[in-house]
Amino acid sequence: MILEHLPDGWRAAFTAFGGPCEVLLDVDGRDDAAVLGEAAGGEAARIERLWSRYRDDNIIHAINHAQGRTVDVDDETAGLLDLAAQCFELGEGRFDVTSGVLRRAWTFDGSANVPTAAEVAALLSLVGWGRVTWRRPQLTLPAGMEVDLGGLGKEYAVDRAAQLLSLRTSAAALVNFGGDLRALGERRDGRPWRVGVEAPAATAGEAPRPALDLELARGALATSGDSRRYLLKDGVRYPHILDPRTGRPVMDAPRSVTVLADSCLEAGVLATLAMLHGRGAGRFLATHCARYWVQA
Amino acid sequence: MAATDGKASLRAALAAACGALGVAGAPAQATEVRTGVLGYTEPGRVSALELVGDAKHTFAGGQAATFRFVYDVLSGSSANGGVPAAAAQTFTSPSGRGSYTTEAGATPLDGTFRDTRFAGSAGMTLPWGRLTSATLGLYGSSEHDYTSLGANAALTREFNRKNTTVTLRAARYEDSVSPEGGAPAALSAMLPATGGGGDDDKLGPDKDDDDNGGDSLAKSVTDLGLSVTQVLGRRTLLTLNYTNSRVAGYQTDPYKLLTVVDPVSGAPRAADAYLFESRPDRRLKHAVAGELLRHLGRDVMTLSYRYFDDDWGVTSHTAELAWRANVAAKQYLQPNVRWYHQTAADFYRRWLVDGQALPEHASADYRLGDMTAMTYGLKYGRTLATGNEVSLRVEYYAQTGESHPAEAFGDLRDLDLFPTVDAWIVNFGYTFGK
Repeated sequence: MILEHLPDGWRAAFTAFGGPCEVLLDVDGRDDAAVLGEAAGGEAARIERLWSRYRDDNIIHAINHAQGRTVDVDDETAGLLDLAAQCFELGEGRFDVTSGVLRRAWTFDGSANVPTAAEVAALLSLVGWGRVTWRRPQLTLPAGMEVDLGGLGKEYAVDRAAQLLSLRTSAAALVNFGGDLRALGERRDGRPWRVGVEAPAATAGEAPRPALDLELARGALATSGDSRRYLLKDGVRYPHILDPRTGRPVMDAPRSVTVLADSCLEAGVLATLAMLHGRGAGRFLATHCARYWVQA
Repeated sequence: MAATDGKASLRAALAAACGALGVAGAPAQATEVRTGVLGYTEPGRVSALELVGDAKHTFAGGQAATFRFVYDVLSGSSANGGVPAAAAQTFTSPSGRGSYTTEAGATPLDGTFRDTRFAGSAGMTLPWGRLTSATLGLYGSSEHDYTSLGANAALTREFNRKNTTVTLRAARYEDSVSPEGGAPAALSAMLPATGGGGDDDKLGPDKDDDDNGGDSLAKSVTDLGLSVTQVLGRRTLLTLNYTNSRVAGYQTDPYKLLTVVDPVSGAPRAADAYLFESRPDRRLKHAVAGELLRHLGRDVMTLSYRYFDDDWGVTSHTAELAWRANVAAKQYLQPNVRWYHQTAADFYRRWLVDGQALPEHASADYRLGDMTAMTYGLKYGRTLATGNEVSLRVEYYAQTGESHPAEAFGDLRDLDLFPTVDAWIVNFGYTFGK
């Protein structure tokens, strides 16, 4: 963890969830900043270990390699699976934690490598929360299916880190894990936190630039969309947001959607659901979100 | 799935699902609207219907804006202050043009009482650092014979790791009264009804209800307040409040009368039996209140007490106990009982006696008399699947005073001089937000 003394507080930076993470703290002492930064960083690392699909020693590995057997899951994972089940219902099948296997066909590396309809159809038989039997704490997945909590884990980690900080200090703080963030109050001088949300780069290689400059004192922001990940074939751009119901990219979605909500999890789910509505994203946001920003 | 049918439902369901994970936070930004309909009736006397709308928007930056709007309609009969008599009595209505008659033995009620009132207020709370916030607000209300304009400010600061909250408040109101029929002179006699165009200054010329002539009287109110809220452990919250209110200007009720009775028979004297009341034009009020809120299991008990006194000689005590029983996950029942007792103002006179010198101030308004009131209420509230809230509250109020005071003489001994006033209050509330 790197501690940096800023003119108006401290910044603790570390890497988690495959990207840069930081916690801004409105405290004076280096020791306070270090303790709080470690608490947030430790929580991020713990949650990443818990649900990473790149490890072979965690519950996700156990679930995905159960070959049709029932797996008992811990309370925390059960909580997230309950939320996943709820999101599947609320999104009418658009939000599906079993959709990760579609990545075997779709690799959004800027190439023209668009899979055939047959390839997609074969994978779709392994997608669908409706095929899963979930009776807390027991989860049974048909053999070959997989669960990926990556779409919820980072936002959950932001909320958990914020919660740990608020238990340890009454100082204001901003938790920012790769652009998903949550604010804990105004600073002592009364100023809210300034938050820059990156605009998606128009073309690969172009440096990201902050497109939104927001002030936030409480609540959370999450952004969905990343135009650096796409396929390009015959002049058609295939963005990386996949609709689990069709196995194909959602074609008319905005470049990115940023949503403000009470918790980062809520903001993240709302932003993802909005993207999955494609051209209907704007209407979805207007109906369900109090404040949001769209980059077309 | 039905949950996607409504706007609020998806968000509410998602918030609930995230809340179940224990990571919900203070709302980032929210709009909450409360609406209510209140019906009030004193059987045989006044009825009122009130519509209330309240909106609060909290911005992501922590600022909050509030708006409130009240519309009410009052109608019915209100005690005019005169004592009952063994014979029928005739009174001039406030406009000076008509009259009404009270039967023998009955409490004189002015049945011409009818009014509508609009009131609105707006406020803005601005955080000023993490521990301090300032609130500024404006208020205005209007009825056909009364307008009020006000401004208020408050400063709140938290101490002691947010376990102590101290608020300082100040408010100033400028009111203007334009009595129907003009403002009567203090303790002047009620004149007979003119039945048409008036020729007397006090009663004013012929006019409609919305134009009350030039008589506009001013009153100003200055309120100062201090409140301290202290967290006492995880389950208990104590709030202490002090309010000082200084009122200057016209405070007489221009429609209230006193009966001048014969010193022997106790009957209204033959001529000029009814005088308009008169109150001092200054009043200084103090109130001290405490409220203790305690969580008991899943229920919440609220116990409160308020002491009030003023330099008119009114002293009052209010004690209230409310119990919120959370009977199910999203439903509660809240019974409450309130006791109120007040002593009379120094210038309260149930009647005046013919032949005795007139006091400088006198009022027979029962609201300034010795009285005890009890209120019994029950409220039911429920959170709907959409996250919106509905509530229904029913209250019964009974006010009693000395019906047969020891000083009564002659006819007055046999008459009910302070009839029990009872009232029913029904309030329906609906709260929604986004």
